[in-house]
Amino acid sequence: MSSEQDQLKETNTEERFAFKKEESAAVRSDKGLTEEVVRLISEDKDEPEWMLDRRLRALEHWQNMPMPTDWPGQPDLTELDVEEIVPYIRPDVDKREGADSWDDLPEDIQDTFEKLGIPEAERKALSGVGAQYESEVVYQNMQEQWEEKGVVFCNMDEAVREHEDLVKEHFMTSCVPPSDNKFAALHGAVWSGGSFVYVPEDVTVEMPVQAYFRMNSEGMGQFEHTLIIAEKGSEVHYIEGCSAPKYGSHNLHSGGVEVFVGEDAHVQYSTVQNWSKNTFNLNTKRAIVEKGGRMEWVSGSMGSKATMLYPCTILKGRGASANNITIAFAGEGQNIDTGAKVYHNAPHTKSTIESKSISKDGGRTNYRGLVHISEGAEHSSTSVECDALMFDNESTSDTMPYMEIDESKVDVAHEATVGKIGDEDVFYLQSRGLDDDDAKQMIVSGFIEPITEELPIEYAVELNRLIELEMEGSLG
Amino acid sequence: MTATQVHETISEETVREISDELGEPDWLLETRLDALAALEELEMPDVIRTPGRDWTNLDALDYESFVDPLNAAEEKDQVGPEDAEVLPLSEAVSEREDLLKEHFGSVIDPEENYLTALSTALFSTGTLVYVPKNVDAEDVTIRTTQHSQSLFNYTLVVTEQSSSVTILERQDTGEDVDGDRYYSGIVEVAAGENSHVQYGSLQDLDEETYNYTLKRGEADDYATVNWVEGNIGSRLTKSSVETNLDGEGSETKTVGAFFGHDDQHFDIAARVWHNTAHTTADLVTRGVLDDDARSVYEGVQDVGRDAWDTNSYQRENTLMLSDESEADASPKLIINNHDTEASHSATVGQIDEEDMFYMTSRGLDDESARNMLVEGFFVPVLEEVEVEELRGDLETRVRERLHE
Repeated sequence: MSSEQDQLKETNTEERFAFKKEESAAVRSDKGLTEEVVRLISEDKDEPEWMLDRRLRALEHWQNMPMPTDWPGQPDLTELDVEEIVPYIRPDVDKREGADSWDDLPEDIQDTFEKLGIPEAERKALSGVGAQYESEVVYQNMQEQWEEKGVVFCNMDEAVREHEDLVKEHFMTSCVPPSDNKFAALHGAVWSGGSFVYVPEDVTVEMPVQAYFRMNSEGMGQFEHTLIIAEKGSEVHYIEGCSAPKYGSHNLHSGGVEVFVGEDAHVQYSTVQNWSKNTFNLNTKRAIVEKGGRMEWVSGSMGSKATMLYPCTILKGRGASANNITIAFAGEGQNIDTGAKVYHNAPHTKSTIESKSISKDGGRTNYRGLVHISEGAEHSSTSVECDALMFDNESTSDTMPYMEIDESKVDVAHEATVGKIGDEDVFYLQSRGLDDDDAKQMIVSGFIEPITEELPIEYAVELNRLIELEMEGSLG
Repeated sequence: MTATQVHETISEETVREISDELGEPDWLLETRLDALAALEELEMPDVIRTPGRDWTNLDALDYESFVDPLNAAEEKDQVGPEDAEVLPLSEAVSEREDLLKEHFGSVIDPEENYLTALSTALFSTGTLVYVPKNVDAEDVTIRTTQHSQSLFNYTLVVTEQSSSVTILERQDTGEDVDGDRYYSGIVEVAAGENSHVQYGSLQDLDEETYNYTLKRGEADDYATVNWVEGNIGSRLTKSSVETNLDGEGSETKTVGAFFGHDDQHFDIAARVWHNTAHTTADLVTRGVLDDDARSVYEGVQDVGRDAWDTNSYQRENTLMLSDESEADASPKLIINNHDTEASHSATVGQIDEEDMFYMTSRGLDDESARNMLVEGFFVPVLEEVEVEELRGDLETRVRERLHE
């Protein structure tokens, strides 16, 4: 880290984020990634031996794999120094309440929530309580009626203890093995917290299951793991929201998401991500879909300095399908590299990818996607649509799709368009009495409508308001 | 990627001998020797990579077995209208040294990659096409028939202000040789202000031939560089057709067509860089794959920061006739200026079942129906080919292939 950044960090800490002095960690690991740190995490969680073994194997992969650096147009990761990241902080839950009062929150976070028009009780929840706090999930809400039907929704650490067989079978084995990529390996070594969702056969969970993750300490890494198992014929919608206040040094978020969609089951996974603009957000999310199952990914990526995220779906069984809807908004200094991957490995599988991006004030958005149709996956179809909206000449928008088609009886279509915000549209709205900003805001809202339609109303409102705030330049 | 070990006959003596044969000036010999020396450091041209996979494996090419630079043999037909100059390279080095010196290696860096450097060090045949100011030169024809194991061909096209030229290039193979062949072609086009270049190629090499082709144009203000790229032959082709739109208001259009069968592999790229204001590009490619053939398509539309008011379009469609074939595509948009209207689309599919049903219900047998639909599939790109002779040649080769 440069001395300039050090200085910045000092100033920030002193002037703006004094509340952090009250950080009350029960356990805090050293910086960097060593066997010691990994053992400390496992020991602190009182984990079974097999989980420690998996962590240590993942650590080996991390040590042996190169950083991804040579993808065309990928975000610059040179400023990310994992040796400077604290991978594990367990808050002292008993003391948390006092340390985490609304008034202690950084001003910009308070402003954000106020401007979002969120009621005070909920603001508190969204800003840390009722959410993953640092490395631990400290509170989750699950209605009793679902528990009676055998639905499990708990934090991942608890799942290791309470649902050991299920976790042992599914945790980073067939879906996201730690050898998958550098950051999956990192995640496998130091993962902590996250959600475990289990939906038994033929159970439909009618309400979205929600979790909110937040990073509150400077220079920390957050590595929550989400494991969703939806048995045959079941249905569930999982929603996560993520945020972190702004700090001078870099945070790292490297989550892992594994979804098992059983026969004829239906899982929707929605994310609205608004990490602070010093966060590297490098995730691995993957679903395996059995015969007739359906996986839907809905992602809104607003925050972070750099995001690399390509939710992947493996259509394993006949007639399985996947829908991806992604929206990315990159403002000044941000590079949002996101897209979708779909492997069609069985006949009559179907996928759609709809990607929208907005870049402004020098922001950089990429669509990076892979559609693979294996030999024998006959009568499969896929359609990819990317639209990019650019506000100015300093911004960049790239579309990098990859299509590997090994089977002839298929229907593959990819389409992408890029353009600036339409002068005529703005003129039209202005002639109806809107000012310039409102006109642009309205055009953007219309542009992202296909995404917001898929989200429950409160998330749709949040996404819209976040974009509005981004456009006013009042966040960050 | 590590460079392939240089063949022992690819030596300084070989390069000097080739250069001497063409009667080259010292500066050109030096350029060759520099390229030769660079071989050790250079890597193969970029290929598309996705996790765990290179889409084209150039390292598998066995240069030991097919590069035989001193025994190059070809038959060449280089003709053009009187007011343009169409010169074999051996004449161009003495008669138009000024043009060569100015443009050789200015559009394509000889040391861009291992294969361009190999071409620069070893080329033994080539053509200079020079079109003076205000001259309209039609029907420039460069036909090359390769009779030897390997052939390195170099083409330079220079058009002066407000001139135009239509060039038809064709490569095929003649006498049989033992083992695999290698054909390498480098084409540089320097299109002067307000000039118009139409460069069409039909690659019809035999299917024991490995082929590397790089064609790149630089368009000055209001110039147009149009390409037609037909790929029918070869065992493996790695071909890229590229335009730098450097001049205000310049334009390019690329029309590509390929038809692969057996175990042919086509790695085809169409690339355009919009470097300045008011430029337009249109890239259109259609391909058909049968048997075990494989295509890799990369399309790049790169709009630079200073490229205000850009229009850029790309379409790629692949028709698969066999389950054993594979069609890979990556159409890329890189946009750094918002004052842009850009789009691309790509599709892969098989012959429409309803179309087949309609044709067969009109009394055609399956094969005739299929053949007609394949020919019909190529029509939208063939219609874009301005040179009648090239269009005719392409149609004929498509038809012949269908009836093989």
